[in-house]
Amino acid sequence: MKTLRDPLLLALAAAALAYAAFANEYYLFLLILGALMVIVGVGLNVLIGLTGQVSFGHVGFYALGAYVTAALTTKLGWNFWWTIPMAAVLTGIIGALLGLVALRVSGPYLAMVTIAFGFVVEFTAVEWESVTGGQNGLMNIPYPSLFGWSIGPRGIAVAAIVLMSLVLALYKRVAQSGWGLAMRAVRDSEIAAGAMGVNPLAIRTLAFTLSAVLAGIAGSFFASATTFVAPSTFTFFQSILFVLVVIIGGAERTYGPVIGAAIVVGLPEALSGLAEYRVLLFGVLLLAVLLFAPSGIAGALARRFRRSAPEQAPAPVSAQLLVAGGTAAQALEVDDISISFGGLRAVSEVSVKVENGKVTSIIGPNGAGKTTVLNVICGFYRPESGSVRLGQTELAGAPAFRVARAGIARTFQTPQLFERMTVLDNLLVAMQRGALGSPFAELSDMPTGAPAQKARALLHYVGYAGGVHRLAGDLPHIDKRLLEIARALALRPSILMLDEPAAGLNHTEKAVLAKLLRRIAASGLAVVLIEHDMSLVMGISDQVIVLDAGKRIAHGRPEAIRNNRAVIDAYLGGAAFDARPRAAAWKPEGDAVLAVEGLTAGYGAANVLKGVGLSLHGGELVAVLGANGAGKSTLMRALSGLLRPVGGTILFAGADVSSLAAHRIAGRGLVLVPEGRQVFPELSVTDNVRLGAYSRSDFDPAEVDAMLARFPSIERRRKSRAGLLSGGEQQMLAIARGLIAKPKVLLLDEPSLGLAPALINELFHVLAELRDQGMTILLVDQMAALALAVADRGYVMESGAIVHAGVAHELRNDPALERAYLGHA
Amino acid sequence: MLALAIVSGLCMGGMYGLLALGFHITYAVSNTVNFAQGTSLMLGAVLCYVFSVTWGWPIALAVVAALALCAAWGMLIERVAVRPFVRAKSNAWLMSTVAAGIILENVVMFTFGKEPRSLVLPLSGEAFTLGGLAVSPLQIAILVVAIGLALSLQAFATRTKYGKALLAIVQNPQAGSLMGIDVTRAIMYCYAMSTVLAGIAGIMIAPLFSVSAEMGTLLGIKAFAVAILGGLNSARGVVVAGFVFGVGEALITSFLGSAYTNILAFVLVIVALAIKPHGLFGTAGVKKV
Repeated sequence: MKTLRDPLLLALAAAALAYAAFANEYYLFLLILGALMVIVGVGLNVLIGLTGQVSFGHVGFYALGAYVTAALTTKLGWNFWWTIPMAAVLTGIIGALLGLVALRVSGPYLAMVTIAFGFVVEFTAVEWESVTGGQNGLMNIPYPSLFGWSIGPRGIAVAAIVLMSLVLALYKRVAQSGWGLAMRAVRDSEIAAGAMGVNPLAIRTLAFTLSAVLAGIAGSFFASATTFVAPSTFTFFQSILFVLVVIIGGAERTYGPVIGAAIVVGLPEALSGLAEYRVLLFGVLLLAVLLFAPSGIAGALARRFRRSAPEQAPAPVSAQLLVAGGTAAQALEVDDISISFGGLRAVSEVSVKVENGKVTSIIGPNGAGKTTVLNVICGFYRPESGSVRLGQTELAGAPAFRVARAGIARTFQTPQLFERMTVLDNLLVAMQRGALGSPFAELSDMPTGAPAQKARALLHYVGYAGGVHRLAGDLPHIDKRLLEIARALALRPSILMLDEPAAGLNHTEKAVLAKLLRRIAASGLAVVLIEHDMSLVMGISDQVIVLDAGKRIAHGRPEAIRNNRAVIDAYLGGAAFDARPRAAAWKPEGDAVLAVEGLTAGYGAANVLKGVGLSLHGGELVAVLGANGAGKSTLMRALSGLLRPVGGTILFAGADVSSLAAHRIAGRGLVLVPEGRQVFPELSVTDNVRLGAYSRSDFDPAEVDAMLARFPSIERRRKSRAGLLSGGEQQMLAIARGLIAKPKVLLLDEPSLGLAPALINELFHVLAELRDQGMTILLVDQMAALALAVADRGYVMESGAIVHAGVAHELRNDPALERAYLGHA
Repeated sequence: MLALAIVSGLCMGGMYGLLALGFHITYAVSNTVNFAQGTSLMLGAVLCYVFSVTWGWPIALAVVAALALCAAWGMLIERVAVRPFVRAKSNAWLMSTVAAGIILENVVMFTFGKEPRSLVLPLSGEAFTLGGLAVSPLQIAILVVAIGLALSLQAFATRTKYGKALLAIVQNPQAGSLMGIDVTRAIMYCYAMSTVLAGIAGIMIAPLFSVSAEMGTLLGIKAFAVAILGGLNSARGVVVAGFVFGVGEALITSFLGSAYTNILAFVLVIVALAIKPHGLFGTAGVKKV
């Protein structure tokens, strides 16, 4: 095999064998121990490095292997070599069973299960005297023999080194194969892996079983090398040492365990006089590596000597055939799906019919349930009722990976790439469609070969012009989006669903995206799009479906939707509402209380706010309007400190607060009533209000009663837990909580979201009152008409910048407003 | 015999409950735990020994000083072994807190020495009979302290301004910061609280177990099992689980011998997590996609 001819591996094996030939008994034993640690380490590397799980109990499998060999040879007189497959089978079965239990959970729960397992094995070894010899263990384990001759410790060393080399070579191949691709995908993003057809639980269990088997086999050799086994050897601390070997050496790197084992076995020897400090040193090393060199020593070395693979020119293969040549075109029919979260009906009997070769867009105000519908179709949520049929197959309730394998591919609101894998590997994962293939296939990052060619063609098709060996996490935002689309296409789906693909793109990039989506539809796929950019939606869609508050309120061709009164009302707020403007003309006095200039902020690679500037004077009520995705909520989060801006200034009461933490900004009097109410659900109404005054030093508890008196609807429920209140009541509570802080400026983010119409009226009534009492307010709301009715001035945002500003009553009739929400007619 | 087992089981249960409460407090506010909680227990006992026996301080002063240093240790762990990884959104705090525990245990081993010492508290006097049972004042004290602390913590959480602020950031950390609560500092204080609880447990059981560098490891792991079983998110759950575990252990030991106690305990943990992956009292969160 080519991998066995790896010069580094051969050098390592040769050096070890040479050492084995000449070392004395003591160092020979250390060599064997080291080689066995490498074997266990490689197995754990599959689990920790490739699949991203953790185990603090692998000494259990090591012990199992050792005891199997010990018991079978001393009590039943078996030949050592036959005990190895027995150990492998036993640890494999137990590993698989334990894995199925343990790997449904993660984090501390998974750690606990593995720790418990290790202790169960250790204590069982102590108790089950008849089999294990109890505390004293089993002795006089014979050395293995070949052709009647005992091979002795030197022979064991040779066998261990040969096995170690084989295991290292195998690891390299498995890591590169479809198995390794699937494991790394699960590690990087379990959600995206599921969406690309990979079954996360199966993969994790597979990795766990492999690591268990390797630990078991190493344990077998250990038994014959030490000639006795006792429970005291197999302690919890040994499990920690195994993990150390992987982490210090370098997780995921092939030779990481070699470095790690060399340190763990060799360091105590090198320290000689200080050897008793070795455990302390291990602890310090582990902490140091985790803090300063998370990819371990091997990783740090690799970074120093990294050679980037040469990029090849893109292949001229036409992807048109690839895209269309997928599964036979199947229609997607979604009937009356409903789903609730915590008693709240998120989606109510929504039906969608999607045709191949056409672009269907799903639009609707914030909170309408669009992403929830997408998640139900793709298998991330199970609907309470209704059906999702692709062709003849019923998919409702099926897990995400099964839906993906059936032919529905998707992208995510924030790109969910496999960030630590290359562009090429991201596509290769999807191309497997859940099938793992041979564990020896050389797939990962191979620049040549049929899969790579297909991948390049797909990348060319979507317009990605960068290198294929770049890590997905390093790409700029537009490239991440394109890669995600290419990856979805690599699944060869019949339906492609995209969740807000245009978010964060500029005008030119959106035009490119629009053309791409039409091209994809033209080649026979059905394209389903959730989007807020109306120009984009109206420009490319064959069918538009409008959702509001979880229900479908309209569907049809774009022109019909554009002029549909119900749709316009849903977005802008119709005439059925009434809000009270100021009674008399009024002008603010003095300097701006809040002055924002050049504010730039975003999440990750994309800047959502691109140089926003606005000002607010004392006593004013200013509205900030714009379609979803324009950046209004991001603006609120940046002003309140929940999101740190990357550029620009926020002058509040004379000082720049743009770099302050949220709690300090709130303490200074710039108070945000956040989107979605965000009350403290388990605390009472009274306690919620009281917490609003947390940072005030002059707070008088009697103020709580006074504040509640202003909001009769929640005063009656002062002792109820806030989570039990209705949406409207929670909104009043959130406002009361904000007011009791005696803010200099009150920021309100989408207060009318999810409220019933009657409550919306009450809400704007309260806002008008606050305005008349002199409060300074910055209001973001979807109900543009209502917001402008109570406001003095307004700003209109689009794609992260202010595009229009003016006096409120003039803005109300300005066609620019409707354009900003519903696109150009 | 049964009654004696129950009494000693309740005592150990109180200890497990205190340690498990420590796990719950940090997990509730930060979704992280101090895996070296057992070492914190040991730290409390060792420091109390050093201050009161080696340096001859009055016992009250020794206890206060020991707990103050435990609090400092907790804050140090949060700052060095937890916060950097939470910021980087990585799970490596699981391993770094283990590393911190290893470091502390070994430092203590080299300064304090390896032989176990016995710590005599004013309460570890002679047993007296209570309702026909031989009970030592220490056992009563342990129970009183454990239940008292659990109740005080509950009162603190539900009746004081800072306690409610902690509850608030458990329920919604972002909204909490909008109220002016410094969430980062609160998490640090919670870590201090959890190590102080462990230190108290260590000081109280020192007379029963004798003080040594390794006294905390297995206790810490069992307490973690208790916390997992009770559900890391439920304060009531972990305390109840602590008593159930303690009594269960004691009963199994008295009927089957101490041999099988540990095996059964850990097997039950695996089985319980297989059936209820989020703990017996815990709840799964809704996964937002």
